[in-house]
Amino acid sequence: MNLTIPPLIALLFFPGGIFLLGSGLLYEYVDRKLVAQFQNRIGPRWFQPLADILKLLAKEEVTPEGVNPQLFVALPVVALAAALTAALYVPMFGFQATFTFRGDLVVTLYLLSMMTLCIGLAGANSIDRFSIIGATRTLTQLFSYEAPFLLALLGPAIVASTWQIGDINQYAMTHTWLIVTQPIGFIVAVIGLMGKLELPPFDAPEAETEIVSGALTEYSGRGLALFRIGKDVELVIGLTLVVAFYLGGLGNPWVFLLKTLVLLLITAGLQSLFARLRIDQTVGMWWRIGALVALVQLLAVIIGLFIGRIF
Amino acid sequence: MEAKVVPQKFIVPIGPQHPALKEPGHFEFTVEGEVITGATVRLGYVHRGIEKSTEDRNWVQNLYLLERICGICSHIHATAYVLGVEALAEVTAPPRAQAIRTLVCELERIHSHMLWLGVAAHEGGFDTLFMYSWRDRETVMDLLEGLSGNRVNYSVNVLGGVKIDVDEKQAASIRKGIDFLKERTTYYMKVVTTDETFLGRTRDVGTMSYDQADALAAVGPTARASGIPRDVRSDAPYAAYPQFPINVITAKGGDLAARFVVRINELFESYRLIHEILDKLPVGELTTRVPRRIPENEVISRVEAPRGELFYYLKSNGSEKPERIKVRTPSICNWATVMNFAVGLKLADMPMILAGIDPCFSCSDRTVVINRTNQSQVWSWEDLRQYGIKYYR
Amino acid sequence: MPIGVMLSDILASLFKKPVTEKYPYVRELVPERLRGELFWDPTKCTGCQLCVKDCPADALELIVLDKVNKRFVLRYNADKCIYCGQCVMNCRFKCLNMSNEQWELASTSREPFLVNYGRDEDVQFLLDRAAKAGSEGPCEKP
Repeated sequence: MNLTIPPLIALLFFPGGIFLLGSGLLYEYVDRKLVAQFQNRIGPRWFQPLADILKLLAKEEVTPEGVNPQLFVALPVVALAAALTAALYVPMFGFQATFTFRGDLVVTLYLLSMMTLCIGLAGANSIDRFSIIGATRTLTQLFSYEAPFLLALLGPAIVASTWQIGDINQYAMTHTWLIVTQPIGFIVAVIGLMGKLELPPFDAPEAETEIVSGALTEYSGRGLALFRIGKDVELVIGLTLVVAFYLGGLGNPWVFLLKTLVLLLITAGLQSLFARLRIDQTVGMWWRIGALVALVQLLAVIIGLFIGRIF
Repeated sequence: MEAKVVPQKFIVPIGPQHPALKEPGHFEFTVEGEVITGATVRLGYVHRGIEKSTEDRNWVQNLYLLERICGICSHIHATAYVLGVEALAEVTAPPRAQAIRTLVCELERIHSHMLWLGVAAHEGGFDTLFMYSWRDRETVMDLLEGLSGNRVNYSVNVLGGVKIDVDEKQAASIRKGIDFLKERTTYYMKVVTTDETFLGRTRDVGTMSYDQADALAAVGPTARASGIPRDVRSDAPYAAYPQFPINVITAKGGDLAARFVVRINELFESYRLIHEILDKLPVGELTTRVPRRIPENEVISRVEAPRGELFYYLKSNGSEKPERIKVRTPSICNWATVMNFAVGLKLADMPMILAGIDPCFSCSDRTVVINRTNQSQVWSWEDLRQYGIKYYR
Repeated sequence: MPIGVMLSDILASLFKKPVTEKYPYVRELVPERLRGELFWDPTKCTGCQLCVKDCPADALELIVLDKVNKRFVLRYNADKCIYCGQCVMNCRFKCLNMSNEQWELASTSREPFLVNYGRDEDVQFLLDRAAKAGSEGPCEKP
């Protein structure tokens, strides 16, 4: 759908800004509720994520010793800003992206990675043991899933022969669903999404039973609230990207809601199915299986296109 | 403000407050990157002075105090104490009481192993198995509540017998509960032994061979997972175990996966035993009379707690209050196995290794007075045996 | 290489009701042997004080107003009690029993936890005496 919204409104209120924050909280609630249902228990009530954020904003923020205080305060803000900016190029809520230009796929992915980088830096900033180990694990995981995830998102870009997310979305809406023609790419994209969002089984960077809270151990109050909102927004954007590419594009809000919720259901199921992987197992899995499989898929796409062009 | 330079190997402190620990304890792991190079343990955060308090209370009151040393193995502490006191007073509880004691012991073993299964899965990040095994544990908690009136600290024992009786309706509900649990346990066995993600966390982690486990004096399922067939229920049967013998469950692997297998197989053994006890429950009365003043003597009482061999030393002096009670719990023996084999593992394996011995910190906090003199000697196993033989001659 | 072995359980749970008990909106039935609050019947008591002697938590106190006419008041501290049931077991005349209905024993003050059991006139006598003396006077303890 095409909606002409003045850019400032789009940035601050709708479909970015406050509306995006609200939808991030909604998606977190749905995710927790689905995981609870899979585990045969009642999950939280609908306002739980909102209550968490409000409570965190009201708490005192303690700046620990030994950190660089400006960096400590700035990193959560930069992380959230990166996540919110990435939303501008994606077809959020079924509406056409507010800003598009050639190559905005790369920019969006870079902005999403910047959020993880900020978390890693925040961990490396403190002198607390748990934060340092958490930061190491976050950055290790970033380096390992980034390549296969990008390759998986590259497949649709190649068949649509464009780097612009809006055009790939258009292509996906008009042709057969890419999950059918590139199934391996879809699987790599979904698992890569789980790695990016640090959802179980890839939550070694913030393994609660080993390193308390990983890179975010020292954060409390406003900083932690901003990081959490950033993660929720990243969840929404990640789901939108994968749906837009593989599940037949996003035309209008109802289609958006339906398709992203279906993908969230699949992700929640995968979350509750596996034990946590150790960080070395994650890296080993991604660099051995993930990258190879994504490369195979890419080769298949290229060869398919080549053959298609000959005939 | 300068950030301190982080040296190459640094110490990760686990506890006293840490999400991996259910109770406080302090572990220091020296790590290089993700690999552990050293481990130390420090306990004592839950020391409550129970052994000293027993000297102020009479024999009946001590039963309830000692029951509360541990929440998960409370009945077995009470059973060990009561068997000891009955031996001091030279009475034996009637056979029906012994059988009911054994029944509750086995139910408690089921409860403890299911709790451990959930906790170990949670330490490994497998929250789904945690939720499901604790949901099924509610079945056995409800059975115990129906039998005794309380979900933990059942207080089933009294000096000379038991307080509660098992009638037909109770027996039928127990049978139904056990059959449901048997089906679920078969499923958990399948999950624990075949799920590849879970095996990736437990296979070949913390492997202890037979000789190493023997040298470190491991007890309970930790030792049985390395192949040592050490079980007090068959080595020195107490309560009703002479009439209802058990099979000792061992495994060969010695790693964390073998410990899972041993505990789940023990669950099956408990189910079989409970059915057998319910089928052949002897008739009779429930208590016998135990005098208020226990004659002067000292006695040792050994039982098999869910975690290993539990050892009570009781000394009476002819009055209404005990002279000395010493408790040696199985968790104390198993700490050395963790600390020795933690080196070389990755930091991510650490919570599962700690959970693998089923630590009960509340049980482990006893004081030991070490007499450091110049004439201290090191006694070998053979020396201890010879000393014991000479002492009793 | 089997992964996701718990899939059958998870999918089944998607369509089942959650197993959580929605206490306090829904109260399940409690078992009949539940050890709730202690209740005392003064008519059969002979004042042997076996219950007081063996209480592990010193929660019971028998105040003897008149031994010959069997006028006793039992002071029960519900917050000290550990609900073990030893007193019930010790009493030879079955004066004590543990309720299985009164088990929600939470309160915002200490008042409801100190219970004086006895015939109404006995309890009243005790309270009057305490009020006259101005403080909790010394009571007979074994």
